[in-house]
Amino acid sequence: MAEKYFDLDLDRCVGCFACVVACMDQNDTDVIIDRPFRQITPIDSCYTAKGKREYLSMACMHCEDAPCITGCPTGALRKDGNGLTVVEESLCIGCHSCAVACPYGAPKFDQEGRLRKCDGCAIRVENGLEPACVRVCPTGALKFDTQENLEEQKRAQLIRKITK
Amino acid sequence: MDKEKLLKGKIPCKETGIEVKKSICSICNPNSHCGFDLYVKDGEIIKVEGMKEHPVSRGTLCSKGAATRQYVYSPDRLQTPMKRVGPKGTDDFVPISWEEAYSLIAEKLNGYKIDFGPEAVSFFVGYSKWMRPYVQRLAQAFGSPNYCTESSTCFKATYIAWKLLCGSFCTPHMASTDCLMVWSNNPLYTNTPMASTIFKLKDSGTKIIVIDPRLSPIAEIADIHLRIKPGTDGALALGMANVIISEELHDKEFIKEWTAGFEDYAEYVKEYTPEAVEQITGIPAELMAEAARAYAGSKTGAILPSSASVVHHTNGVQNYRAVFMLSGLTGKFDKAGGNIMNTYSYLESTSGFPTNQEAYMHFKDPADMAPRVGADKVPVWCEMTNEAQAMFLPDQIISEDPYPIRAVLGFGMNRKMWNDTKHMKEALRKLDFFVNIDIFKTETCNYADIILPVCTSVERGEFKSYGNGYCIHTKPAIEPLFESKTDLDIVFELAKRLDIDDELMPKGYEENLNWILEPSGITMKSALEHESGFMAPFLKAPEFEKYKKSRFKTPSGKMEFASGILKKYDQIEGIDALPKFLYPVSSPQRDPKIARDYPFIINTGGRLPMYLHSRTFRLPWTAAMRPVAAADINPEDAKRLGIEQHDDIRIFTPHGEIFIKANVTEIALEGVVFVYHGYPDIQVNGLLPYTYRDPISGFPGFNSFLGNVEKVKKGEK
Repeated sequence: MAEKYFDLDLDRCVGCFACVVACMDQNDTDVIIDRPFRQITPIDSCYTAKGKREYLSMACMHCEDAPCITGCPTGALRKDGNGLTVVEESLCIGCHSCAVACPYGAPKFDQEGRLRKCDGCAIRVENGLEPACVRVCPTGALKFDTQENLEEQKRAQLIRKITK
Repeated sequence: MDKEKLLKGKIPCKETGIEVKKSICSICNPNSHCGFDLYVKDGEIIKVEGMKEHPVSRGTLCSKGAATRQYVYSPDRLQTPMKRVGPKGTDDFVPISWEEAYSLIAEKLNGYKIDFGPEAVSFFVGYSKWMRPYVQRLAQAFGSPNYCTESSTCFKATYIAWKLLCGSFCTPHMASTDCLMVWSNNPLYTNTPMASTIFKLKDSGTKIIVIDPRLSPIAEIADIHLRIKPGTDGALALGMANVIISEELHDKEFIKEWTAGFEDYAEYVKEYTPEAVEQITGIPAELMAEAARAYAGSKTGAILPSSASVVHHTNGVQNYRAVFMLSGLTGKFDKAGGNIMNTYSYLESTSGFPTNQEAYMHFKDPADMAPRVGADKVPVWCEMTNEAQAMFLPDQIISEDPYPIRAVLGFGMNRKMWNDTKHMKEALRKLDFFVNIDIFKTETCNYADIILPVCTSVERGEFKSYGNGYCIHTKPAIEPLFESKTDLDIVFELAKRLDIDDELMPKGYEENLNWILEPSGITMKSALEHESGFMAPFLKAPEFEKYKKSRFKTPSGKMEFASGILKKYDQIEGIDALPKFLYPVSSPQRDPKIARDYPFIINTGGRLPMYLHSRTFRLPWTAAMRPVAAADINPEDAKRLGIEQHDDIRIFTPHGEIFIKANVTEIALEGVVFVYHGYPDIQVNGLLPYTYRDPISGFPGFNSFLGNVEKVKKGEK
């Protein structure tokens, strides 16, 4: 199977929080004690390239050459068959090396100090379902697809705009 | 894959025993109500997601719907019927049986009918709306004209503005519009199924004009954003008309043939030059003119209004009339891609198939009943709707003028919906008998004599139709929790026990639904055969220029720039046949003395994406999206007042004060403070006197009133 990627269309993300809550529902997040895997950061217009207010929905980026995997001394982190960065929680020793290596702040730790992170809904993906955050997204900003399909969708969008 | 892993991923399959059940969400606005796939294991919902086959929501949800598990399994759920044993306003209740509750309610309400007349009993329905036709029928069958709803502060005034103009409610025909003018609405948060339509339009080059004081997400994607001062929408619309007429962009033929009062209107809009309008609205004259030209010059153009924001001003109906007139002025009215006259099929969905709903809800002539609550105060409301004006309910309970209201049967009543929340509290204290029927134990329940627990949408079966003709009759995905029942279980049980004059209602839900749906060719039984819904059988394609066949249902038979109905009432202050612009009653222009000490405009009622009124505060998932109650304030204002992010601030008016945190954000327009309205401990609606209302609709002026803001020093609060 071709690897799939998360893609966020910044022109379509409106900061509605649907993805954040859907992620909590999928992962039974207890917000009193757990840090959510996915978060939305609004960026004021004065800081964005387009001069427009933008919303950034972010969780684990599932980097191709993931520094957290390289950094993990016990092999608790690995890539699954779909290119998702997944964690074998029983191998985690809570050393936070992954958190130091991650440029996006994706690794979170539970009360026992063990790594908990977005696994891209790896089990759902293996069973032919979309990640919860992608399924819920009302504007279609958040996608999970192959590089080829993502490019194709962007082309189609552009053609629609030009042809009317 | 092993079972443990499948369970961890919540994969529906034989091994896990997780089943997917179809349902709909009903947390928010009934025109959205997204489809649900509920993952159920051993009778418990363990995950929710959107139903892909649902053609309106197409597998998506918003943050509120995504939090449904915490809504359904909230520890705040009412569990059994209860009877008050302590003083009103306290939490002192004892559980009783359903039989005892029903007997008590029937005995009391039937008693008031004998002693004081049926009008002494008021029926109220809050959100959402699925039980409304049946409660309205029950009230009329009982003989009471005092059926009223949450629509006394939402939607109905927008409906009245359209009806005064053209005799019909209108909807934007968005599928094929070249220009979409979104007038104070942010569907990307409040009606997320519409998001895909909006982006599709944007992708295909439709021009999007947004009128909103806030830098909302829809304003961000607009081609033109008119950042308006709250309460000045009427002036903006008149200014656009000024540009359109002076540049001869109006449709002279349509105006001559199909409208009344154009000369007076054209004369009136001369005052509203772009420069004058810039002074009033704060929008640069040239940008306003550009928007007017873009809308008038587009081949087709639709206005997407909202149910609340513009009509939550003391001149709200007039302001929206001025806006809607632009559709007739430019000849885009009732044409493809414009705003088209529409009728309801079921509830308030314009689904394109015929039903008997109108006849079902209004089977008694209002003339045969006592005058409605509000009849003497808002005669236009009473002429244009078939409900009592709930905003005047506390007034009449307290004054007993023109007659006493002894009892209220409330479905989801929340006293914080009323401006001057203390006024409604006083009224609830005075009532002889108050029944509140709710999902959750709310603060308003503390004033009830009887509380009845109802279930959520996923625990019941209901019929629902949508704007595209799609219908569904859901089945309960799980059994009602605790001892809760559905709202309609209660309505139809009361229909058997109350002294009513109706043979249909005691026959129960299925017979009544089938009676309503009879012309549509749909029955409850046939609907239930389609688990994921179906398209209605006798769908009509939208018809255009219907006025050519049936004229306009207005006094003149034409579209009215000068309203024949408003003319009858123009002795009332604030009412005029023309769409006259008036500043908000509480504004520097109309109350300069107050303005000196209260330089800010306070605006309440705008939505946050994860909250709907007071419904989703109690859910930890949605509440975590903004963990502290905070008012939006512009960075410039904040700097001037020495306020930093999350500082404690005090917002005060001559009428009251609230303490809240500051959210310093460019979303807020300078000079305006935006406070979300549903926070449980912060009564922003209490900042207003109860008399602060639109004289046409009776709607409170929530969206613009004078106030002031100050930083609270540590230890002072």
